[in-house]
Amino acid sequence: MVATAATSSFFPVTPSPDSSDSKKKRLGNGSINLGGIKSKTSSGNLQVKANAQAPPKINGTKVVTPPAEVCKNEDGVSFHPPRTFINQLPDWSMLLAAITTVFLAAEKQWMMLDWKPKRPDMLIDPFGIGKIVQDGLVFRQNFSIRSYEIGADQTASIETVMNHLQETALNHVGSAGLLVDGFGSTPEMCKKNLIWVVTRMQVVVDRYPTWGNVAQVDTWVSASGKNCMRRDWLVRDSKTGEVLTRASSIWVMMNKVTRRLSKMPEEVRGEIEPYFMNSEPVVAEDGRKLVKFDDSSAEFVRKGLTPRWSDLDVNQHVNNVKYIGWILESAPLPILETRELSSMTLEYRRECGRDSVLQSLTAVSDNGTDEIECQHLLRLEDGSEVMRGRTQWRPKNAKISGNVGQIPADTA
Amino acid sequence: MRKLHLIWVTARMHIEVYKYPAWSDVIEIETWCQNEGRIGTRRDWILKDVATGEVIGRATSKWVMMNEDTRRLQKVSDDVKEEYLVFCPREPRLAFPEENNKSLKKISKLEDPVQYSRLGLMPRRADLDMNQHVNNVTYIGWVLESMPEEIIDTHELQTITLDYRRECQRDDVVDSLTGPELVEGSKIHGTNGSATAITREDDLDCHQFLHLLRLSSDGQEINRGRTEWRKKPT
Repeated sequence: MVATAATSSFFPVTPSPDSSDSKKKRLGNGSINLGGIKSKTSSGNLQVKANAQAPPKINGTKVVTPPAEVCKNEDGVSFHPPRTFINQLPDWSMLLAAITTVFLAAEKQWMMLDWKPKRPDMLIDPFGIGKIVQDGLVFRQNFSIRSYEIGADQTASIETVMNHLQETALNHVGSAGLLVDGFGSTPEMCKKNLIWVVTRMQVVVDRYPTWGNVAQVDTWVSASGKNCMRRDWLVRDSKTGEVLTRASSIWVMMNKVTRRLSKMPEEVRGEIEPYFMNSEPVVAEDGRKLVKFDDSSAEFVRKGLTPRWSDLDVNQHVNNVKYIGWILESAPLPILETRELSSMTLEYRRECGRDSVLQSLTAVSDNGTDEIECQHLLRLEDGSEVMRGRTQWRPKNAKISGNVGQIPADTA
Repeated sequence: MRKLHLIWVTARMHIEVYKYPAWSDVIEIETWCQNEGRIGTRRDWILKDVATGEVIGRATSKWVMMNEDTRRLQKVSDDVKEEYLVFCPREPRLAFPEENNKSLKKISKLEDPVQYSRLGLMPRRADLDMNQHVNNVTYIGWVLESMPEEIIDTHELQTITLDYRRECQRDDVVDSLTGPELVEGSKIHGTNGSATAITREDDLDCHQFLHLLRLSSDGQEINRGRTEWRKKPT
């Protein structure tokens, strides 16, 4: 599902009654949208400044994570509970009654959440939903590595890493408080039936995390040429700060009706440009072309790969993380058993759906270092290409000794 | 247990979901284990929605001890019991305390001819755990592979019970079979000369199915299951 990953684009924060309502609809009933409180009358004096980051929602209930947000009126004077306000403006009792209702309801919601933060960082991100850092341009989220995310060698799989990248991309967009539809398109994009699709992905893994590690993922977007957008990720061990993974991806717009790629319309550029970071790609672009090859030069071929029901997303498309699983399916066993994936470059060419039957071809080459390099091709039975890739494999670290591998399914 | 080369294996898993959480919801899972008879232990779970406090699901599972070398079941000896009982709550506590609850229900074996099937399922590399065995979560995926599309598209899984009978290795090929479960005492009426059993549950828009996973090669049973489905909430 190339399209789902489309929501990795980042949009301007323009809270509007519409966006608040749609969020309410999406995530729960009767939640108080503190991030977008508007005065109940059209009077100018009670403009409440919305947060740059909409407060994260817990099951539809907004949680204000830093110490309670203080709202300011137009003069920049902060006001607290309604009581003070009543004293200042006794004539506007109707208005105040409305505001009071809103605040009391909000307060009730806050009281309902009885969590006591044990560590300072929990105050900031108690449910691990992630937050905006660095001048509002970078999104950061932590992930503990779960037992079901690790493979036979006790380390997180590349699919786990890719899932974290996807999750932070989507949450980055979501936390900006934008209208999120299935494709994460900006309002202007929606009007033109445009969606984001990923065309290229480069990932370099310096170290795979193990069960119990916490991976801290930072992500941001930048311009890429005139019509594309680049999304970068930097993953660190949250305890030691050591860099675990670096990744960079290129996105382009596609018309979802015609399925044809589109130049970036000026209106869309206006929406997203303010959010671009001015930075170099976190992974230096691998300029080498990914060459096409056929059965005769492929050493390993696996045919008859079909999506399972659980591989499909809400649009009946195959999620792009699954593609990686498929190309690894045809990688030679000796490589998988003694080596780990150190880097990968992928080019997405075509989407595939539930009824697709795919073939995965692999060719192995020696690039003169102690790393083995593989070329990959994922294609449909009629020969049309779904994805091209290049992977590099380095020798695995010495295995952890002892019975650590025997983690019983039920640790009684 | 490690000294004696004993491992826990799942014998039965029963899960009921009352409300599926959505992306970004926060759920709280409480879990505990306790002794169960002479050869088993049980682990229960209760799932709650953190914001509302409501219980969104419950699960219970039964585990037996097996010798990893002989692959034979073994009684839980007292030393083993003592080791883990320390971690179990003192008072027996069940996620499904009600009498005659569905977690105890016997699952009938699905007999040929079977209404729905998906044959030739193979473990992918990602399905294997650190012991090179098919992870038990993969089985659930396989069981659902042979569900008819018209149910999967419009209904959500309410209850699933799985009895694990034999393990599956990386080179095994598996067939997944599904058929409707006939309720005892259900009405039978003929339609065009053929008898069709109608379950009471049809009226409530719920569907019940029996499942069987077996080896393609010799038909040996890997696990059998039972599912209940309800219409997806709009």
